[in-house]
Amino acid sequence: MEKKDHILYDKTGNPSKEPAWIFRTYAGHTNAKESNELFRKNLAKGQTGLSIAFDLPTQCGYSSDHAIAKPEIGKVGVPINTLEDFRILFDQIPIEEMNTSMTINGTSMWLLSLYVALAEERGEDVSKLQGTTQNDIIKEYLARGTYIFPPEHSIRIIVDMYEYCLKRIPKWNPSNICSYHLQEAGATPVQELAFALATGMAILDAVKERNCFTHEEFEQCVGRISFFVNAGIRFIEEMCKMRAFSDMWEEITKGIYQVKSEKFRRFRYGVQVNSLGLTEEQPENNAWRILIEALGVTLSRDARCRALQLPAWNEALSLPRPWDQQWSLRLQQVLAYETDLLEYPDLFEGSRVVESKVKDLVENANKEIQKIKEMGGAIKAIENGYMKAQLVKSQAERLAKINNDELIIVGKNKWKDGIPSPLTNDPDGGIFKVDPKSAEQTLKVLSDVKARRDAKKVAETLARLEDDAKNGKNLMFASVECAKALVTTGEWADTLRKIFGEYRPSTGVEGQKLNLESDKVSNVRTKVEKFQKATGARPKIVVGKPGLDGHSNGAEMIAVSAKHAGFDVIYSGIRLTPEEIVQSAVEENANVIGVSILSGSHVELAEQIFAELKHYKADIPVVFGGIIPQPDFEKLHSIGVKAIFTPKDYDLMDVMDRIIDIVSEKIPASV
Amino acid sequence: MTVRFAEKELKELIQEASQGEKYPLAKLISELEKPDSFEFRKVLFKELENSGFNGDKSVTIGFTGTPGAGKSSLLGEISTNFLQNVPDKKMAVVAIDPSSHISGGSLLGDRTRLSLPVREKRIFFRSQPSQLELGGLNPYTYHVIRLLRCFFDFIFVETVGIGQNEIEVSKLADLSFLVMVPLGGDQIQFMKSGIMEVPDAFILNKCDEENLARASYHTLSTTLEFLRDIVPGGSIPPIFLTSVKTKKGIQELLDFVLKSKPHPKRSSETKVQIEKWIKTEYGNFGLSFSEKLGNNTQKNYEEWENFFNSEIRSKLK
Repeated sequence: MEKKDHILYDKTGNPSKEPAWIFRTYAGHTNAKESNELFRKNLAKGQTGLSIAFDLPTQCGYSSDHAIAKPEIGKVGVPINTLEDFRILFDQIPIEEMNTSMTINGTSMWLLSLYVALAEERGEDVSKLQGTTQNDIIKEYLARGTYIFPPEHSIRIIVDMYEYCLKRIPKWNPSNICSYHLQEAGATPVQELAFALATGMAILDAVKERNCFTHEEFEQCVGRISFFVNAGIRFIEEMCKMRAFSDMWEEITKGIYQVKSEKFRRFRYGVQVNSLGLTEEQPENNAWRILIEALGVTLSRDARCRALQLPAWNEALSLPRPWDQQWSLRLQQVLAYETDLLEYPDLFEGSRVVESKVKDLVENANKEIQKIKEMGGAIKAIENGYMKAQLVKSQAERLAKINNDELIIVGKNKWKDGIPSPLTNDPDGGIFKVDPKSAEQTLKVLSDVKARRDAKKVAETLARLEDDAKNGKNLMFASVECAKALVTTGEWADTLRKIFGEYRPSTGVEGQKLNLESDKVSNVRTKVEKFQKATGARPKIVVGKPGLDGHSNGAEMIAVSAKHAGFDVIYSGIRLTPEEIVQSAVEENANVIGVSILSGSHVELAEQIFAELKHYKADIPVVFGGIIPQPDFEKLHSIGVKAIFTPKDYDLMDVMDRIIDIVSEKIPASV
Repeated sequence: MTVRFAEKELKELIQEASQGEKYPLAKLISELEKPDSFEFRKVLFKELENSGFNGDKSVTIGFTGTPGAGKSSLLGEISTNFLQNVPDKKMAVVAIDPSSHISGGSLLGDRTRLSLPVREKRIFFRSQPSQLELGGLNPYTYHVIRLLRCFFDFIFVETVGIGQNEIEVSKLADLSFLVMVPLGGDQIQFMKSGIMEVPDAFILNKCDEENLARASYHTLSTTLEFLRDIVPGGSIPPIFLTSVKTKKGIQELLDFVLKSKPHPKRSSETKVQIEKWIKTEYGNFGLSFSEKLGNNTQKNYEEWENFFNSEIRSKLK
């Protein structure tokens, strides 16, 4: 029978249809019990895999009863302290049948150990476990901030996991190269390609260097590397980016790493579509953006993702409600089951336009990879600050373009007038809030576990972990033992912190400039000059990023903009305590403190900052920026916050204008 | 025009600053950093003297070197070590970063690499933009250091850059270090430019790897041998090999700093700084008056400044 180009045939030659990708929603909040209910509801709605979001203390290796953890418990994900929390989280969920993705990096070994311990406890065949621990530490240093240890030790932990998984849980992906956050931090498609692939090579090099595998086993390791990619609004370019990824990974695995098996060379990837481009203004437009972005990674069969998770339309406002997540899941189901998308062979094969665009991306990404190689690879390019600085530069350029109206964002800098969205009219304001009392339950489970566990066994397993860390042994075995002994997340991480130390990377903002010259800029600079004339000094701002939320793009952009406006700027990177930020502002005698928070802990952190200012008897004005819902404004103002900026305030010079006005209020009238 | 402090308030600020209160000290520094601080300085330093704070026993340590030599991280390590092991002394750090030539603003990033304890009164950290001044120092750095000397036993001044001008910090430091990295390859260039003669000691930082460190040490010490020709009979300055990563050499470096003494004649430093000020204000014309500096060492900086201002201005009329 004659075969037709537009029909998809299976291996036996019969017309067929592609199976759909795995549908996931990135979910988890409040505590293990609530998250367990959410997971079970989502699976009942037709979700086909789990993607677990952990709260920031869990990601950064702190137990919920640590002081730094308190404001963050259960905010952006589920808190996990001990095996007991995993027992609750997976109650009535057959983990041996699940494909579980865990967005966890610094503590990925610990969470995998808990998962293994749970499976063993339930008497399941551990080798059947399927899923992924994200475990891409490089992008944490660059964009997301939940790293713990210095790069070399982090890489060692990843290699330990490869070694362990290959033999014991062969279907587990021990790490997943995640370029998602690079795009969120401003990466261009070329940077996303180059940085992600360079990261892949760094991991493969480290695995090779360990020299613990035969070549066949090494090939299997290569086959376990998967990618987690972002899909932005320029969906044709994004589709070409995915094709470029496949081509380049093939070239790298075949050429450099001599992988013979075609199966192990395949570029396997999951996608979360872009949240960076979602707007707080006219948030209903985000629904269309999400659909278009999803097309970029599903339209072309040869570059279709294996798993997809879509953000909710209201993510720029605050945490989405279960209904909002359901709406996103339904979009995937409409796309996969109602349309004919899965019935065709690749639509773009042979397209001259697509081929040429892919070629262009590949060429430029290869040039960038070459540069990184000449520096000594991805780890070196992190340590010397190169990659971070490149991202901050791209982000500054992108924002300058939005501010100059060169880049159109509908509803934000163009067609701004509109009817208010009825979607946000619900009494809950269209957003989800974690019940502040829910942390009590987490803390209770933790203290109960601590009270009834065998203290001697805890000490013994932790001592073994410490020894193994010192002696270069594979840490997975000791970690699983720790999990079974009911060791806490904080105890596990602290033991390794003692041996490996903690890391502070480059902020990437030094030497950056903003390509923005407009009337607004000169207006602000005039005010800055006036301030300087009146007081004899430039205005000084301390830009602070308190707590465990590592999403530093906002803080970086404010730091760069303030310098551009003529401020003296003190910015010391992420994960500072309110005490440290206030101490900087006091010692520097700053005129204003600008605080950036995206994790939803703004009220708690504001209280801590003002308490500390009171300690020093310092009357320094404080402004806040971040994803802060309108209903919280009054509370923040009552604590003393002078101004609040949200994603709506995208015009950098408008922000600086308000800040210089606040700073100038303190110039004495006599001047 | 700017806010000055009433006499009582100033006394209070000084008292509180001397007890390690950070905010009062920060306010005093800010006043010194203003361009028209002359009157304030006169009052402040008089008041300090009357209260028994002269800073004569304090040691100033200059840290200079190319960007990326790891000066801030090294200072961070020294501070940690200092706070742990030198319980009865206090230290301050002044870190100077370049300003933007376009907006005049600056990004002061040095706190990034220092993890300082909070509410610790034995240490004080202050950033300073260079204010486009060549020489790595800010025009007011000198006065800020004079103030800090009154309250702290050790003042570390960190400047970026490595040229004839940037070594300026050595003129107000009792002990100045040039911080380099192994195999920077710059050693010979330094010698040519005469910079090698200036520092009291050298630091090869980032010596994480032993062989590379040894090799660089030998290159540097051989280069320094040439100094014997310039300063016959002079001894070769010490070289420290340090690594923040492995904590190598930190203790030795700190011991060396702790042993060093303040310059016996602060008046000669005042002379150098007043000459620098005259040159900035009145150029070479002004400098011709500086021979009047003579041997009178009784005058403090502000008195000299006042004297030359009226002297030179009277000739300008």
